[in-house]
Amino acid sequence: MSKPRLIIFLVVGCTLVLSLVHYWLNGRAASGNSIGTASTDVSTFRVGFLPVTCHLTCPVTDWINQNMVGKGFYEPVRFSGWPELKEAFLSGDLPATFLLAPMAMVLRQQGVPVKIVYLGHRDGTALMVHKDSKIFNFNDLKGKTIAIPNRFSNQMLIIYKGLRDHGMTIDDVKLVEMPPPDMPAALQAKAVDGITAAEPFMAQTEMDGYGRVFYQAKELWPNFISCVLVVHERTIREHPEWVQQLVDGIARSGKWLDSDMEHRMEASEAVAKNYYHQDPRLLRFVLSKPPDRVTYTNLALARKDFEVIERLALEAGILDGSVSFDNYADTTFSARTHDAQPYSWEMKQ
Amino acid sequence: MEGTSPPKILLRDLSMTFPGAMNGVPLPVFERVNLRVEEGEFVCIVGPSGCGKTTLLNVIAGFLKTTGGHVLIDGEEVLVPDHRRIFIFQECGVFPWLRVDENVGFGILHSPKENRRRIIRHYVEMVGLTGFEKAYPSELSGGMKQRVEIARALAANPDVLFMDEPFGALDYFTRLRMRAELVSIWEREKKTILFVTHDVEEAMQLADRVVVMSRRPATIRTIIEITLPRPRVLDAQEYIDMRNGIFEAMGLDHSGLGSASDAKKSSD
Amino acid sequence: MRSSLERILLPVGVTSCFIALWHGLVLWSGSTIFPTPVDAFTGIVELMRHGVLLNYIVASLFRVSVGFLLAVLIGIPAGLFVGWFGRAFSAFNPLIQILRPISPIAWIPVAILWFGLSDLAPIFLIFLSSIFPILTATIAAVQNIQLVYLRAARNFHVHGLALFKKIILPATMPQIITGIRLALGIAWLVVVAAEMIAVNSGLGYLIIDARNAGKRYDLVVAGMILIGLIGLILDLAIRKLQQLDEVRWGFQSFAAR
Repeated sequence: MSKPRLIIFLVVGCTLVLSLVHYWLNGRAASGNSIGTASTDVSTFRVGFLPVTCHLTCPVTDWINQNMVGKGFYEPVRFSGWPELKEAFLSGDLPATFLLAPMAMVLRQQGVPVKIVYLGHRDGTALMVHKDSKIFNFNDLKGKTIAIPNRFSNQMLIIYKGLRDHGMTIDDVKLVEMPPPDMPAALQAKAVDGITAAEPFMAQTEMDGYGRVFYQAKELWPNFISCVLVVHERTIREHPEWVQQLVDGIARSGKWLDSDMEHRMEASEAVAKNYYHQDPRLLRFVLSKPPDRVTYTNLALARKDFEVIERLALEAGILDGSVSFDNYADTTFSARTHDAQPYSWEMKQ
Repeated sequence: MEGTSPPKILLRDLSMTFPGAMNGVPLPVFERVNLRVEEGEFVCIVGPSGCGKTTLLNVIAGFLKTTGGHVLIDGEEVLVPDHRRIFIFQECGVFPWLRVDENVGFGILHSPKENRRRIIRHYVEMVGLTGFEKAYPSELSGGMKQRVEIARALAANPDVLFMDEPFGALDYFTRLRMRAELVSIWEREKKTILFVTHDVEEAMQLADRVVVMSRRPATIRTIIEITLPRPRVLDAQEYIDMRNGIFEAMGLDHSGLGSASDAKKSSD
Repeated sequence: MRSSLERILLPVGVTSCFIALWHGLVLWSGSTIFPTPVDAFTGIVELMRHGVLLNYIVASLFRVSVGFLLAVLIGIPAGLFVGWFGRAFSAFNPLIQILRPISPIAWIPVAILWFGLSDLAPIFLIFLSSIFPILTATIAAVQNIQLVYLRAARNFHVHGLALFKKIILPATMPQIITGIRLALGIAWLVVVAAEMIAVNSGLGYLIIDARNAGKRYDLVVAGMILIGLIGLILDLAIRKLQQLDEVRWGFQSFAAR
């Protein structure tokens, strides 16, 4: 064999070997396209989430099912930033995902057949400033730079509301969009003056000793919602039973989390280790200090919650008033969860 | 040499004009060239650099289309290059990605393997490259590369060789040796050779007849027959007379060789 | 003439100085966030102990080699075609020149929308980043091919596919290999960005994952070091291509220096 031919052979051979080893080491279950079967297909029913406490019920539900019945009924897929998560959802590869509430509403307004079917959490958002900074009240925010997760987020709307309530406007601050995981380092380096996103990235700055709470969202906006569970209309049409199972699971794991501090500590360990890849101390801190920093009950869809968001979003110019609760929400699944019981899972010592 | 047998190469009123080569003005390269070359003859075309000799040779070989007149080889009009007539290029046309033996065998890819090997060995030996069969051209000197190209041409067994200043890039002594070798190869192989050069000495050494071209637009000034036996003695009176005749035909003062070499230098 | 000892000592010395400077600056700045070289090294050891290091390296190499191989397989024939046929060149070149300067990062949304959550999305990005250097190098090589080789080929009646195989491809190979080397460098450069898309393995994923993990910048830097080292090995390997007998002639001027 001539030398060039040998090289081509080697390169192609190496690629083949790499492919095999890769699928052996890292391969997900190959997606046997089995749409139409009764039970959910783990490989095609993917649910997107970010490693934030707002989405905690997503991994917790999966983890409890893994442990109680030996397998989950969906595949939780972790993302690092909102744009990638949104795009994966739009591509149709992700039938369900946790999403910022205003973003879901805006997508609907833009014609995406998306339905909000359940909430993910309540509270669990703060605005942090550097502990050395001289920012103590809203007036001190004037001219400052604040990192937000996305323009279509309640984190943004709450700043809008706070400034308005103090006689200022959103133009008094400079907002920059940033993936939540990058925010702590940005604050530490004083690249921005304030950061606001979901936990645990806010608490992390507190734990590491350079962040100070400027406000907890609930102080300005009781029962604050950051993220909701959304699905494609097609998923509702083709697999309503998948959606119901998921909503039930979120409801049950939410109640499980809120029923016992021990559960929260167990969840911190399991989720930090298997899903978020974070230091478990961080989640333990967020879920316990104080215990109501973020809550997972009272997650059923309620029109009045969304009307608050709508009003603010209209005022801030995010929404144009062409969509309403009836367009973007589907309460059927949520309505069936009122008697959902917490999972009966207790960790065996 | 005007024999009764049909000519090998016949140029009839051959003209070439580059359309709008210079600022849109058509540029005549050569005009009304008439030439008759017999089978097995060694003809050199000399003329000042840039006079269009190379273009003329490319037209005869079929690489360029003429704009007037005809080229006939064996009585047939030449329109495209043909493997029975091999061109040897001024800027070495040996393929650098092939070894010496692969280069020499390039023109006979379709002949049976054993036959091919024998031909390659024969011509590699003829040009004195035995032992270098497996070398790549980049490992060879300029003279050796030119020999590879000659061997490659001969291996294809053509009846005509077109040579376009093939030794132009070589140093003086290599050039002398290559001329002698070419003559001995030609005497053995009896190919018809059309050889372009701007070096009058070179033409004197090689040719049966020397065709002297004028400046552009080139026409044939004269054709001088060199009847001296080879190898030609450089200081024989007859040789010097003939050479001066060529210089004269080229429009150079025959008594001042210095001016001839000056002309060469300035054009190089 | 440099001695072999010098050739080893010089780079080792400079690299050691760099590492020492890095270590010193981190200590001097008193940063609790930015890792020292020791932290990064223990990070690599930790990855090894968790048994994910090999998985990640294999995953990244897999994506790069598939994307890159596709780019080679499509880029070279397409480049030969576009470079050889004048009409194809005028038809395709403007489009190629428009697509070429677009950063693979800009294609991320498109990749997710088209390919969703599979290995295909990062492979697509790597393919995109590496096909243009190959394509442009091949086109330029074909257009700059020496006329004398083509004339010699015509003289020996080599036409059509045989002309591509025997003359055009070997004559352009040195320039194509330069393009390939450039492309592999870029492909490896893009792997981090490509693995930002929801994949769950790879060295790029390691960096993204470490960013999620709070203060684990030791793992971020460990990922960077691994990417750098593997990139170096890949480049050394592909440099060997330039020493092949069939193409060495095209790199003579480098060798002579």
